Amino acid sequence: MPEQAFAVVGFFENADALVRAASSLRGSGLGHVEGYTPYPVHGLASALRLRRSPLGGMVLVMGVLGALTAILFQWWANGIDYPTVTGGKALFSWEAFVPVMFEVTVAFATFTAGVGMLVLLNRLPFFAHPLLSSPAMAQITRDRLALAIEAERSAALDVEPARAALISAGALACEVVPYPVPLPRLAAATLGRLAASIGAACLVSGVLMYWSVKLFPVLPPMVKMLDQPRLDAQHGNSFFADGRVDQLPAPGTVARGFLPYDVASAEEAQLLANPLPRTPEVMAAGRRVYRTYCLVCHGALATGDPLLSKAYGAKPANMQSPAIRAFPDGHYYDVIMRGKNAMPSYAAELSADERWAAIHYVRALQRAQNAPDEDLR
Amino acid sequence: MSARRLLQLVALIGALGVAATFATGDQQRFWANWVVWVLWLATIGLGALFLVALEYLVKARWSVPVRRVAERVASLLLLVAPLAIIALASLPTLFHAWVGPEAAQRSAVAAKAAWLNVPFFVVRLLLCLAAWLWSYRVFAVGSRAQDSTHDPRFNVRARGFAPVFMFLFAVTVTVLAFDWISSLQPEWYSDVLGVYIFAGAFMAGLAAIALAALSLKARGRLPDVRSDHLYNLGGLMFAFTVFYAYIAFAQYMLMWYADLPEEVFWYKQRIAGGWLAVALLLALCHFLIPFFALITRDAKGDPRRLRWVAVLVLAAHYLDLYWLIFPALGRGVLFSWPEISFAMLFAGSGLLWLARAETRGEDMPVGDPFLAEALEFRL
Repeated sequence: MPEQAFAVVGFFENADALVRAASSLRGSGLGHVEGYTPYPVHGLASALRLRRSPLGGMVLVMGVLGALTAILFQWWANGIDYPTVTGGKALFSWEAFVPVMFEVTVAFATFTAGVGMLVLLNRLPFFAHPLLSSPAMAQITRDRLALAIEAERSAALDVEPARAALISAGALACEVVPYPVPLPRLAAATLGRLAASIGAACLVSGVLMYWSVKLFPVLPPMVKMLDQPRLDAQHGNSFFADGRVDQLPAPGTVARGFLPYDVASAEEAQLLANPLPRTPEVMAAGRRVYRTYCLVCHGALATGDPLLSKAYGAKPANMQSPAIRAFPDGHYYDVIMRGKNAMPSYAAELSADERWAAIHYVRALQRAQNAPDEDLR
Repeated sequence: MSARRLLQLVALIGALGVAATFATGDQQRFWANWVVWVLWLATIGLGALFLVALEYLVKARWSVPVRRVAERVASLLLLVAPLAIIALASLPTLFHAWVGPEAAQRSAVAAKAAWLNVPFFVVRLLLCLAAWLWSYRVFAVGSRAQDSTHDPRFNVRARGFAPVFMFLFAVTVTVLAFDWISSLQPEWYSDVLGVYIFAGAFMAGLAAIALAALSLKARGRLPDVRSDHLYNLGGLMFAFTVFYAYIAFAQYMLMWYADLPEEVFWYKQRIAGGWLAVALLLALCHFLIPFFALITRDAKGDPRRLRWVAVLVLAAHYLDLYWLIFPALGRGVLFSWPEISFAMLFAGSGLLWLARAETRGEDMPVGDPFLAEALEFRL
């Protein structure tokens, strides 16, 4: 296969000649005209009619998108998906979102500028421009000013008309640059070696790091979570006068949810009134408590004769008896709190509301077994 | 009627209005206006002087052709000196929070008495003025002398002085902000207020330089200043819209987040009632509009765009100082004929001052050895 020409490079005497030639060659239709100079030549860009880079617009659009992404994401994350109140501020506090918006805007804009410039506009990965390996480039990077007429769309260039046009535009000398010989296998092998080297370097440095940290621990182990400025139970302590960590609570301390039962006698207890209303919810709660704690001894109907009691020879109270039915609610409450005869106290097992709810339920059981005639109508 | 006559007429009408404000007896309002306008002129002059010093500090070339314009704008500091000394008369009325007898009862103010007392305040102002005038003398008077001597040793001297100026500038601008703005409400404090004032001052200085250069160019007096030079003025202005917004928002966000009563009351006053509209207008005119107006490459070097943005920035800088100072009076948004008269008098006098400065000497530092190179500056 004969060598195909990629470009004809013409060297010019000075910058003015270059710019003049660039404007005269631009519309010639011979190929793509490109300037190569060792320093920026003012006026060349406009003579070549280089289009204004679209990068600025891309960066602006992506920057605005970054700002929108940041504010919408924070609004969704903080206000909708997992509403979090921080420092007493509203869920959507734009003031707090601005720093993140700023950073995300900058991140989107800079990544767009970098990636857009390298990949979109300069078409990386792109190993080498054909001109870079030409003898012309060695002169251009030193002191020569050149214009090249380059083949468009991978076609071969018609060399002679291009050379003639360059000479007539004032070029001192010309050079034909061929398409570089493609070396796909070499490129693949090089890439493979590169990847293998990077992998090997990662592996070696990782192993070295692992063993060096293990054998020569430069940093002490991370114990920040362990070393806390706190007092452990059952340990000594120099802060209190008696040298102990464990201190009694201050006199008169009432634990949350544990109001003291300061009723002196059973008679006084009879004055207590049931604070709960008789609603279906309270009744359901009372039935649940009764079935859990009371039913095994007092029976499903509160008659005090379930099979289990008989088996053990115990005699739980029959709450359907007229004497017990006559007791006020406070008496029942006192019995649950203190226990009676063989019945232990249920002060620890139940909360006050659960006790009162169970009492409502027992009253309902009593009414069911001793219903007056009106109830049946 | 020539533009100069018109300006004189405007300033004269303004002066009558200012005198009437003084005569009608609203001393607080009169002095608040006075302080706002002294700060407006002072910050513009300082911003211009900062650009001059920056050129020497970083050995910049591009700004040499517009340096004389910057030096003329910086000469506003000569006008500021007597006006600032007159402003000391505002201490009993405007600054009564720490000058008046009730200061001793306010513990936070009493604790600051070592800084906030009248003799030290006066000394600080005189030292600031001395530092500015001395710097102006070194940079601007020296540069004018170089026009005839063509002595490059001046550049060496100015480059040696530039770091000293930067130090003096940082300290004096901070003192200016703390003394004349923070101390109106002496319980409040913000470390970054000096930087905030610097950001506004440099933006306003750049705007004034751009406006003065464009006006000279329109009369054919700066033919060698091309859009490449203007681009840098516009680019710096663009950059400082962001810097200003960054500093302003940083100060606001930290106080908003911490929500401490001794800090946040200052902002609550400044976004309450009609002040909210002023604050939003400020954000619009000091940041959003200039930012988007100057964002493209062509806009930064476009004389027409640059001209209206510069006018907007100067107006926004006034609005900024107005918004910083007037809410301290605790009287709602005051804007009527006294404010307009002050604007006519001070802005008119500033323009007349610059017009007079323009008639003297060369329009470019023709003795500067870097001028030829600077004229060839291209982007």
